[in-house]
Amino acid sequence: MERRIILPGEKIAEGRLSAPNTYYDGAVTYAAVIGMVDDEGRYIPLENRYRPAVGDVVVGMVTDVRHAGYEVELNLPHGGFIPTRDVRLTLQLGDFVICRVKMVNEVGDVDLGEVRRLPKGKIIEFPSAKVPRLIGKKSSMIGLLKDYTGGDIMVGNNGYVWMSEKSDMPLLLKAIAMIERKAHKSGLTDEIANFLRSQVGDKPRTPAGGEPQEGMEPEVGQGESGEETGYGSGQSESESSGDNYGQQ
Amino acid sequence: MNGTLAKGVRFDGRRFDEYRPIEVQKGVIKTAEGSAMGKIGETLVLVATKIDIVKPFADRPREGVMVTNSELLPLASPGFEPGPPNEDSIEVARVVDRALRSAECVDLGSFFVEEDKVLGLYVDLYVMNHAGNFTDAATLAATAALMDTKMPKVENGKIIRGEYTGMLNPTKLPVTTTMIKVGDNWLIDPSRDEERVLETALTIGTTEEHVCAMQKGKGSLSKDELMTAIDIAFKRGDDIRNILKG
Amino acid sequence: MASSESKVPLIIDGRRTDGRDMEDLRALRVEVGVIPEADGSAYIEWGGNKIVCGVYGPRECIPRHGASPYHALIKCRYMMSPFASLEEHSRSGPSRRSTELSKVIREVFENLIIAEKFPNTQIDVYIDVLQADGGTRTASVTVAAVALANAGIPMKDMVSAVAVGKAGGMLALDLNKIEDNFGQSDMPLAISHRDKRLLLVQMDGLLTREEVATILEMAERGCDKVHEVQADALKRFYQKGEGETFKW
Repeated sequence: MERRIILPGEKIAEGRLSAPNTYYDGAVTYAAVIGMVDDEGRYIPLENRYRPAVGDVVVGMVTDVRHAGYEVELNLPHGGFIPTRDVRLTLQLGDFVICRVKMVNEVGDVDLGEVRRLPKGKIIEFPSAKVPRLIGKKSSMIGLLKDYTGGDIMVGNNGYVWMSEKSDMPLLLKAIAMIERKAHKSGLTDEIANFLRSQVGDKPRTPAGGEPQEGMEPEVGQGESGEETGYGSGQSESESSGDNYGQQ
Repeated sequence: MNGTLAKGVRFDGRRFDEYRPIEVQKGVIKTAEGSAMGKIGETLVLVATKIDIVKPFADRPREGVMVTNSELLPLASPGFEPGPPNEDSIEVARVVDRALRSAECVDLGSFFVEEDKVLGLYVDLYVMNHAGNFTDAATLAATAALMDTKMPKVENGKIIRGEYTGMLNPTKLPVTTTMIKVGDNWLIDPSRDEERVLETALTIGTTEEHVCAMQKGKGSLSKDELMTAIDIAFKRGDDIRNILKG
Repeated sequence: MASSESKVPLIIDGRRTDGRDMEDLRALRVEVGVIPEADGSAYIEWGGNKIVCGVYGPRECIPRHGASPYHALIKCRYMMSPFASLEEHSRSGPSRRSTELSKVIREVFENLIIAEKFPNTQIDVYIDVLQADGGTRTASVTVAAVALANAGIPMKDMVSAVAVGKAGGMLALDLNKIEDNFGQSDMPLAISHRDKRLLLVQMDGLLTREEVATILEMAERGCDKVHEVQADALKRFYQKGEGETFKW
């Protein structure tokens, strides 16, 4: 598949196209961030600054415990907030959580709900533009990583990735770095599978299902949909992956 | 994190006494008398030297002057901010200065020019990407920059810019080894993640034969632990010196 | 600069001191992603200039009371290292000159960055001149545009910059340090790529109206060449394979 890199200010389409990370100016839609256009004319951002949208799944860390609720660090300019009335569990400073964005106001404050506490582990940063690639079509990539590194993984649309302390972290980090580096290539799932096999052999380690998860269903942010054609298709169809920048 | 460490493996897969990959590249700044880019893992420090004519200190009228400054560039880390040097910035400059000065690798006695005029050697440390342990990267780059430093031609008490008489040729190669204590173990060359959980931090400067600087940061340690740390510092210091001799 | 006219011959047999034609650029190289810790970064070597730029944000505004509820603040810091010139070691920290340049460079990007979607935040653009050889402000704009693209900061357009001046009585593109010091006039310009708007305009020395008109044409052609180098650097970065690491 032919892919062309385009820079901010380059034309994507005649007329108004409602795609994330674009803007329109009269009769034309332009790219606002560096991205790629495939031979079907789809625009796939290569970088973006994550802006939370209602319905997004985010991963974060509790940084303040107050009477009214919990402050959560989300790798955003402003923290998220979990109102106490919306949660049954009691959280503590330093707890890792996965939640859904319930509300975003006009100055960027984020209210969170559907909160689950995550077990002991570690959070790393991953470029939010490439999150759909890390999740994979129908969570295929995440499944692969869990199988071969022996621990659970949670991915937020905000680019925070939680990994269980039970995983083989050095291996997992290598695999994630590889996904980040090759996010724009096709056939990535196969390549990662081959890499993991070369490191640990044919047999996956403990199946991820064997991990105690505090009654938690595995959940991740928006993954890819449709054919494996890069990480664009999931993005543009998803209401949760940002909006465009409107008329400029 | 401590759970992973208990297994004897660090988060990034390194052994406890293992540095991240070390690289040094000399001569990157042509406007300076000497320069080097020191890289430990992703941590990057540029050091450049400049030589000027300066007034000697009153108590050492026939001796040259060496001044070490550091900049923790705001572009190097989300945690660095513009503004006057903070305590971390001042500390790294002083530790590196101490290592270079104590090692007597520069013969400041040969820097006399004439009455009231001596050569001043400026050593500027530019921390350009902070992924942990910029102290060792700074010393590495500083020593490499000294090895790269050309001595300017001096005529009638003035420096002729762009003309040189030879090399500075440092007689010793001081390097530092920074380590942190987590539980019972010394972890050398801490990454930024490891720096966040450290109990004790220690930097030891060595030459081939001598310890030439020490600086404890946070925390405490025992005598035995210090001796172990010095052994580690000599061993790893020699590794780094071999890279410097390249 | 005009005072020392013609003490140094700047044009000999129709060629410049460094052998260039009047519309030749000096050797120009741009590299992307050189500061892994930053949200975006780039490095430029242009003639003897060596300049690095790191971008952070949008992130929380400090101090908070300086924040705008309507858009992200763009903060720009241009700084010259004390070892950047062949002359003596200069004082560290901001000078009157660097304060002015920080301002004019910021005013370039305020035109391009789509800041309205990031209320109560700031975007930091740090520019450090490691080695200077004339034309640092134009090189700074050029490298900062690439770093901002690498950071995924939404922008309406890319921008390139170049100075045109008068040296040895002739108009010359991209003055080097000798031409800058001993030439008669200097006009640095930054021009947006798509709609060719002038985003930085400064001038010193003496020029006729016709000379200014010619300079604008020369600068536009020059900026197109600079843009090619910027675009090529970004494309190389996003298409690079494994093991290709950048050497300073």
